[in-house]
Amino acid sequence: MSERLAVAAFALVTLVALWVAPWAAFSRETGSRAAVILLPDRVIDFTGRTDPISVPGQGAVLWLSVAGLVVVAGGAALSGRARHVAWLAAGALLIGTATWGLAQFDAAVEARRAVAFQEAIAPNIADPRPNQDAERLRQLSEEALERPVTVSVELAREAGVVVRRLPYGGSAPGFAAFLTLVVGAAALLFGLRVWPRAGRVLDRVLTAVAIPAVSIALALLAAAVVILLLQPTPVGRDVVVAGPLMALAGRLDTLWHAYYILFSGSLGTVKGFFDALSFATPLIFTGLAVGFGFRAGLFNIGAPGQMVLGAIGAMFVGLYLPGPAWVVLPAAVLVAAVGGGLWGAIPGFLKARFGANEVINTILLNFVAASLMLFMLSSSPTFAASAVRVIQLIAWVVAASLVGLLVPPVRRAMRISPRLTLALVAVIALVGAVVVAQPRAGDQPVVLQLPFKAPGSEPKSYELSEAARIPRLPAMFGIDLRATPGTNVVPVDAAAWIAGLLAVLVFVGAGAVGALRRRGFQGRILAALGVAAVAYATLAAVGWRALPLAIPPTNLNPSFLIALAAAVFVWVFLFRTRYGYELRATGLAPKAAEYGGANIPRNTVMAMAISGALAGLTATHYVLGGALEDYALRQSLPTGDGFDGIAVALLGANHPVGTVLAAFLFGVLKNGGSAMNIAFTDLTRDVVSMVLALVVLFIAAKGFLPDWLTNPLRRAQALGDLPEEPAGGTPPGGGTAGGEAPVIAPQVAASQEDR
Amino acid sequence: METVVLLALLGSALRATTPLLFAALGGMFSERSGVVNIALEGIIIFGALAAALVTYFVELPAITQNPGASVWYAPWIGVLAAMLVGAGVGWIHAVVSIRYKADQIISGVAINLMAIGVPAVVLTGLFGNSATSATITNRLPRWGEGAFQFSPLVYLAFLLVPLTWYVLFRTPFGLRLRAVGEHPEAADSVGISVTRMRYAGVMLSGVFAGLGGAYLSIGGFNQFITEMSGGRGFIALAALIFGKWHPLGVLGATLLFGAFQALETQLGGGQLLPPTVVQSLPFILTMLVLAGFVGRSVAPKAIGKPFEKG
Repeated sequence: MSERLAVAAFALVTLVALWVAPWAAFSRETGSRAAVILLPDRVIDFTGRTDPISVPGQGAVLWLSVAGLVVVAGGAALSGRARHVAWLAAGALLIGTATWGLAQFDAAVEARRAVAFQEAIAPNIADPRPNQDAERLRQLSEEALERPVTVSVELAREAGVVVRRLPYGGSAPGFAAFLTLVVGAAALLFGLRVWPRAGRVLDRVLTAVAIPAVSIALALLAAAVVILLLQPTPVGRDVVVAGPLMALAGRLDTLWHAYYILFSGSLGTVKGFFDALSFATPLIFTGLAVGFGFRAGLFNIGAPGQMVLGAIGAMFVGLYLPGPAWVVLPAAVLVAAVGGGLWGAIPGFLKARFGANEVINTILLNFVAASLMLFMLSSSPTFAASAVRVIQLIAWVVAASLVGLLVPPVRRAMRISPRLTLALVAVIALVGAVVVAQPRAGDQPVVLQLPFKAPGSEPKSYELSEAARIPRLPAMFGIDLRATPGTNVVPVDAAAWIAGLLAVLVFVGAGAVGALRRRGFQGRILAALGVAAVAYATLAAVGWRALPLAIPPTNLNPSFLIALAAAVFVWVFLFRTRYGYELRATGLAPKAAEYGGANIPRNTVMAMAISGALAGLTATHYVLGGALEDYALRQSLPTGDGFDGIAVALLGANHPVGTVLAAFLFGVLKNGGSAMNIAFTDLTRDVVSMVLALVVLFIAAKGFLPDWLTNPLRRAQALGDLPEEPAGGTPPGGGTAGGEAPVIAPQVAASQEDR
Repeated sequence: METVVLLALLGSALRATTPLLFAALGGMFSERSGVVNIALEGIIIFGALAAALVTYFVELPAITQNPGASVWYAPWIGVLAAMLVGAGVGWIHAVVSIRYKADQIISGVAINLMAIGVPAVVLTGLFGNSATSATITNRLPRWGEGAFQFSPLVYLAFLLVPLTWYVLFRTPFGLRLRAVGEHPEAADSVGISVTRMRYAGVMLSGVFAGLGGAYLSIGGFNQFITEMSGGRGFIALAALIFGKWHPLGVLGATLLFGAFQALETQLGGGQLLPPTVVQSLPFILTMLVLAGFVGRSVAPKAIGKPFEKG
């Protein structure tokens, strides 16, 4: 029922939008001013210097769109099969119309630009300068309509004419066209219910994505208000906004373009896509780390600190371990994981042994880690002589206590009254500290010169050895971005890559197909190799051994693949091993798990250690991958990623696949935030971090969503898969939080009581 | 050591303690009612922002006519605004975690994340840069003599210690608040509204943390800077646990942290220890304390658990 209401309401809103919202935009300039076109052929110019443009077929687009929308809205009143068929038809009509219309629009703008190009080079044809080839230019002018304008401009430059700025650039779809497409897609999607099987799949998908999707939508809606408040409609110098329609169209275009910029760079260009992946890489690690903790019923807010320790570990290996890359690099990755893991194990141990709450301890350790990094990278930390003596004394006392613990009588005393023993040791240490701290003659302050700190006041370490560096994507293809900046076209052995990928796919895929699995391991390997050989030969024959590929200048490095591997590891560990099962059981119901034989203290330490190790692996991106300007440990390590990881884990429902997808979405938003910062004068990238925070808030408060959406049992009833309860009775768990979808960390709340 | 230096150290320790004390006392109301308030950090930031902005806009008309004009009431309205905004943010935390029964820590984390983005967006909208607000001319006054010249908020913070003690342990309101945090079912059965008490506790904590923020921006300084709080909310939370959820314990714990912060600034020249080492000492100490080496700290029993009315 609500599905019908929602689609119908959406269609009606779109009907209104078709009248008042820009359908497409062109002449988008710096500062985001543009001329927009409203159906049919109503051009509103915000740049102040764009002549209207006429696009054929707009009337038809308008009426077909209106017809489609009316059918969608009206179809909601029909029942069952008729509705679904109507929606299928109308959806196809809407998408077809909008796509065709936008193509027409693009062609018209391109044609107008070609004419402008002809006009621009006409004077040079009539009166060429010595270095200009008039014959070639005339030819270009005649053929201008046949090839893309950008190509013509490039060719004209070769012929000696530099065409600087052509009008009508930057054509893009507008808000109304987008809404039409969305309504069309929704109608198609829900129309699929004609086939019951597709309907069931649809239901399952909808249940899984309902909460995150609604939360994201609400967060974007809230951000829309902020965007509209902050950013006035960008207009050219002499443009006067006349009339309510122009004002409204301007507002809608501002909003639409802000969101378009936010997503289009990452999803529409190769470089943007790679950059988004690069932003996503550390978030995958931290998201996995937090999600892993959640699964075990632990709240790891310590990812920032664990990131720092991982980075420090990676730096040490990268600076001091000699040897070839295949030794140093794995060692560095491993030590990064160990560093983060040990830092994570501390609060795990404190919780397991002393019942100290891990939330507060991980927060405290974040501060300690930050101080530690600052200390290691500060230029010349100075200790007074007496302070050094105190530190030495403390070290001695700790060492002596550890040795003392090996002596049986001391151990016995410790066991009988641990507090008294500790107090005794503390008093001895305190008295000793006061004694040694007395100033003596000839005291000189001790200045530490840490060997890994790069000289100068900049808080960074020396650069890692070549062997410990993970090359960025362009460098992997032998491109030196300093020599040839920008996008480089290089021949790539695509045949080998595709053949290798096919081999892996066949090997993995064969394991899933029963008949092939029975052939055994050797058979699968043979099949994989055979397919790869055939593919390689075929592709080599068509010349794909040196396929020219455009490699954009991106920060992306293969640590992204390590992140994906980590996700696979987490999935296998959690869902395919005994340990993982025990951890999840502990997370869901600690008491029951303990009764079932789970070793809770050991699990707590292990879970925190693995969680910390995942966070520590961010060092592969930031230190080994050189994502911070250069291949060194820098104090600018963005530890905020550790907190963003909480949001990523929540959005990804603590599942590795969800986490990777959520991290990618955040990567897109972060990448788009920078683009938005540039495109608009009054917007800042912080709008994005606000959106992220709102997403978390809405997901956390999923209780505000209607029950039938969040509660699987009630949802099944609403969909008619389950019989309705007889009047007066409530379904078990239906009215309470007992049957919630497993999105939020299970039992984190319950673990609070023991701090 | 000379008395002058010691006095200066004591003075700056008291100043450093003030925002921690506000936030920790506030956190006490929230946690005693059974709601973990990890959002203190964010509320401090929102309070600081509100205080600086409201003070700026209240004094603006007078300042444009005469730069340096004294508008004595401007910072006080700023303080009021910080309290209101603090209560408002606390209310959001309350709605999400009490009404919608979200995980209280997640809700708090969301508010802290919001405190990173929202101030930057607001500042960009008002002043065109995302890091600082415009400076204000009328800060809070200073009362006192010599090294002991303090903002009124410092006195207020220390006055609040006996006051909160009285409210928590000697009034019906305090009794109910504690009951709701210890055994909500029992409290509910004698007719106390668990929800209302928890709303009150969380919003009060917002008011207090907002005061702490106001002290940072218009008490100790003359503008708002992003990340001004620098983790004070988290430190306050640690102090709250360290102080065993008791006003006097909280006073002691925050004084300890404040003293270390003052030491860090006093030893800033690196005379004795590198400041980074001094910085991390209180955190390590707190961890040892939480691990029970110095004595156990027992939380309100029902903390962190949403209340399901049976």
